[in-house]
Amino acid sequence: MTRAWEFVRRYPAIWPILGSLVLFLLIGMLNGSVGSTILFTAARLSTFALLLALGQMVVVTSGDGAIDLSQIYILTLCAYVSTTLMDTSPVLGFVLAVLIGGVCGLVNAFVNVYLKVPAMVTTLATGYIFFTLVLIGSSRMKVLPNAGFVALVTRDVGPVSAQTIIVALVGVVLAVVLYRTPYGKQLHAVGQNRTAATLAGIPTGRVVTTAFVIGGMLSGLAGVLAAAVMGGAFQDMGLSYFLPSVAAAFVGGTAASGGRSSVLGVSFGALMMTLMSSFLNTAESMYHLPSGIKQLVMGAFLVSILILSVAGVRTRRRQVGMVTA
Amino acid sequence: MGSSIDELPAARATGAPRAEPLLVLEDIDKSFGITQALSDADLTVYPGEVVGLVGPNGAGKSTLMKVITGVLEPTDGSITVRGRRVARVSQREIVELGIACAYQDLSLCTNLSVYENFALLNMDHGAWSPRGWRKEQQGQAAALLERYFPGHGIDVTEPVSALSLAGRQMVEICKALMDDHLGLLVLDEPTSALSANRAEQLHAAVREVSAAGVAVIYISHKLDEIQKVCDRIVLLKNGTDVGEFDPGRITPDDLVGLMGGGARALADASSRGEPADGPVLVSASGYGVPGLTDIDLEVRAGEIVGIAGLVGSGQPTLLKSIFARRRGRVGTLRVGGQVSYVSGDRAGEGVFPLWSILDNIVVSSLRGVTRLGLVDRKRSATLAGSWFDRLRFRAESVNSPITSLSGGNQQKALIARGLASGADVILLNDPTAGVDIETKQEIYGLLSEARAAGKAVVFHSTEDAEMEICDRVYVMREGRVTSELSGADVSVDSVVRASFAEVERTATEGRRRSAMSRLLQSRLVLPISAMLVIFALNAAVNPNVLTLSSARLLLGTAVPLVFAALGQMFVVTAGDIDMGNGYSIGLANVLVAFVLSGSLVVGLVSLVLLVAAYALMGALIHLRQLPAIVVTLGAQFVWLGVALIVSPVPGGQSPQWLSTLYRTQVLVLPMPAVLCLVAAAGGWFVVFRWKYGMVLRGVGNNRDAIERSGWSFLLGKMTNYALAGLMVVLAGMSFTAVTYAADVNTSLAFCMMSIATVIVGGCEMSGGVVEPIGVVAAAVAMSLITSLLVFIKVDSNLQMAVTGLIIISVLATRLITRRRASVAA
Repeated sequence: MTRAWEFVRRYPAIWPILGSLVLFLLIGMLNGSVGSTILFTAARLSTFALLLALGQMVVVTSGDGAIDLSQIYILTLCAYVSTTLMDTSPVLGFVLAVLIGGVCGLVNAFVNVYLKVPAMVTTLATGYIFFTLVLIGSSRMKVLPNAGFVALVTRDVGPVSAQTIIVALVGVVLAVVLYRTPYGKQLHAVGQNRTAATLAGIPTGRVVTTAFVIGGMLSGLAGVLAAAVMGGAFQDMGLSYFLPSVAAAFVGGTAASGGRSSVLGVSFGALMMTLMSSFLNTAESMYHLPSGIKQLVMGAFLVSILILSVAGVRTRRRQVGMVTA
Repeated sequence: MGSSIDELPAARATGAPRAEPLLVLEDIDKSFGITQALSDADLTVYPGEVVGLVGPNGAGKSTLMKVITGVLEPTDGSITVRGRRVARVSQREIVELGIACAYQDLSLCTNLSVYENFALLNMDHGAWSPRGWRKEQQGQAAALLERYFPGHGIDVTEPVSALSLAGRQMVEICKALMDDHLGLLVLDEPTSALSANRAEQLHAAVREVSAAGVAVIYISHKLDEIQKVCDRIVLLKNGTDVGEFDPGRITPDDLVGLMGGGARALADASSRGEPADGPVLVSASGYGVPGLTDIDLEVRAGEIVGIAGLVGSGQPTLLKSIFARRRGRVGTLRVGGQVSYVSGDRAGEGVFPLWSILDNIVVSSLRGVTRLGLVDRKRSATLAGSWFDRLRFRAESVNSPITSLSGGNQQKALIARGLASGADVILLNDPTAGVDIETKQEIYGLLSEARAAGKAVVFHSTEDAEMEICDRVYVMREGRVTSELSGADVSVDSVVRASFAEVERTATEGRRRSAMSRLLQSRLVLPISAMLVIFALNAAVNPNVLTLSSARLLLGTAVPLVFAALGQMFVVTAGDIDMGNGYSIGLANVLVAFVLSGSLVVGLVSLVLLVAAYALMGALIHLRQLPAIVVTLGAQFVWLGVALIVSPVPGGQSPQWLSTLYRTQVLVLPMPAVLCLVAAAGGWFVVFRWKYGMVLRGVGNNRDAIERSGWSFLLGKMTNYALAGLMVVLAGMSFTAVTYAADVNTSLAFCMMSIATVIVGGCEMSGGVVEPIGVVAAAVAMSLITSLLVFIKVDSNLQMAVTGLIIISVLATRLITRRRASVAA
């Protein structure tokens, strides 16, 4: 029992994987049949929340309370940029839109790292600014996506959606960057203790800046894909992904205090949030539940899984304090 | 509390008949994991005596004191309080004996004023106190400081954060001395930041209280002080008391010898003598930065150079300057080659606690173990493994978590990190703090090896004895290098002598700020002037604003934000953030428009439940140590869900009485203006005038200080959240009065707006520093901006960007002014 507990503590990705499994079975029970279609559909639907959640994870992992609240506005901005530029050239539009996401991240990093404004406030404020760009520009920008790109993104390869394949590739690349490159090591070091990281010779400012840029690019990519899949860009397109993505990031084993991440856990976290949402939708329509129940259950579930997964980490932290004191 | 009470013969055969001992500790053991901090430690304390407790760092002095003050429960052993056996020192014994402690890591709330820190301790916990208690407390605090430290120069109404280190230490000591029923006083390194004459004043105070029958335990590394003030000296070593000495018969030198002198033995064996002739790797002439003055030094490859001096003479600043200049030359400090830095503050500056030993060692050598852009696992394992074997870590394998190691072994890993990086210059900042003798010897060995390998080693230690392993020693005093010792001169004696060379200190304690600069630095300046300027701009653009009815209209829309921001402020007071108040205000909005408008009683009950839910959320965040940002984000689903259950569609109506109330007028003032004023005054009263306001602010600053003063941290946090909940309810009410209906989704913007307002209002997101009046002014300013932009026909789309830019510029400006202020100080 204690060994199992120890294992779960070391690999927090267990929680969202278990959660996904349970919800998958529950949906199967409601439908009367357990089919893999449920999973593939959920995987496709979770694309945008997942990309945002991975970006959030990278930013939060840089520690010191770093968080990116401007993600959904970056997503919207990049969606508009992509639909507009893809008119000229799909490749150019794709690349530039993702790069603009990176530039937004750079702006966040500049304000946070060099003007030393707390990350939460920085991204809150820059989010306003990015959104204003959307509001001003949207009247002059093109809304409909490039048909060729749409066909590419919404295609299915066997039962698997092209979106899922793209996201899986991004996940693998990100996992290599985070867990195998020197940068990944440095990011996790900076997240655990910035002072110690600086004294260990790590260029802390540069590492945090890169984290924000990666986060921005992932948000941008989410925007580009979302514009294609949803049939166009619109002003509030990011709104519904904010909560699931933040929830997925933390439920998936990202330490809110920084220094610990899990690409696998966060991916399953996003899948779990999507499955939960479709489970509640199904239940709602089958049993005619009052509309608020869905949100209520979602909130309660989110908080309780946090209590389970975060508490373990904290106990360990406290022990550290004791021993090193 | 529920400990069994056994009668035990307490008298000890000590020759002369003595009073009954206050406290007897016998065979105390205390272990943290595999680290044995105390083993079979004994200590007996009689009334009216001063016991000096000495011992090397890591001997267990602080742990023993934590057992005495009830912070820690011993793993094993017996504690006898006035002849009564107890399992641990609980609150009851602390009160009975009158135990008070001046902690080394100061237990003050730095955001509270000096007198409030005293008041936290000596006021009853009732909700209200008679009027004028603040004046009374200020008088008492000033009198107390004046009594023990005449001429202290501390303004008791200043926040502790404005005091010098010495000032804080004086406050900390007075806080301990203040107890009316003081029976046992513990002073843990009380003079580390005090000048000589202040230390004299403290010693007089110690003599005074001990003459009155108070027992004092005096812990210090300054052995001459121990000799001066103590009746008896107890030596603690490796967690055990190894002897008791008469201060009249033992010299500091003997004590040093007894404490270990481990360094000396090694120094003899080391090959000192021939001066190093390697290239100069670090050099400075006349180098100065804040904290350092006119530094001249030179460090060559192949030598160990010590940096000594009394604690607080600028040694760590010097090391950090050298480290910061590692990329070449700035000013007159020149550093050649790679530099690595090893800190003795392992938890704060060294260890990466989530990682294995391997990762902790390799992190500074990533370049060397990277192949084709990826970290090569085999190379990392080889590199870390070689150090693991050499240093004989007490751990299962190099892949064990670093936290499974004792402090000393963690330190070895950090030194290995520094050496493995291949740096030419190794800086060590007190690396042997809290490290046992055996590990220390290993560390000295490592340093000798590094010297032999041609590295330049700069070694700072707070233990003078360790300077004997160095080839040369620079002794610092008040940010200057005052002497250089080399060859045979490198000895404890000469280091100590040089450290004390010029005892006269330039007085830098307590500087009063002028009334003018105080006003300018006030957090209220920005929000209030912003409000006035924006109001003036509004009036300039649209003179109608000056009429009463349009002022009512403008302020009417501001009131919901005022309450929303105050709610956010109370959460920020606790050091947290509420990311879910958009929907909780929406829920309050729905409850008011659908429930309260129907039945007053049911409505009020539902709103009270919302407040209670906030309090519970605060309790949950504290008890499970959850990140508030995520919990409040999750909670907003709950608020939204409940709101949708109450009413799936927008609608409802504002209760008749509420709308009427909102339209009334008090004298000439319209109701919204009255509400703003009441909110500002009420917030100000709760935070700054109410007695419990001290606790509310303390909660966000220093948890230990609150708990050590006997207040419940949990209750404080819950009260903060409950107040936030109350503000949410008021925001929901006024929002209903403004919109005449409810829609849970329309109030979403309050979340971001309230955070922005709190920041512009002068609050610190780190907690404990808030300004209710500023928040109200900022809220009014924020909503006036919206109307101003409408008046001057700015695209409504730009309003968000303007808000965003205002937040960034406010914070960036504040940062710059703070930096300037701190440089000037």
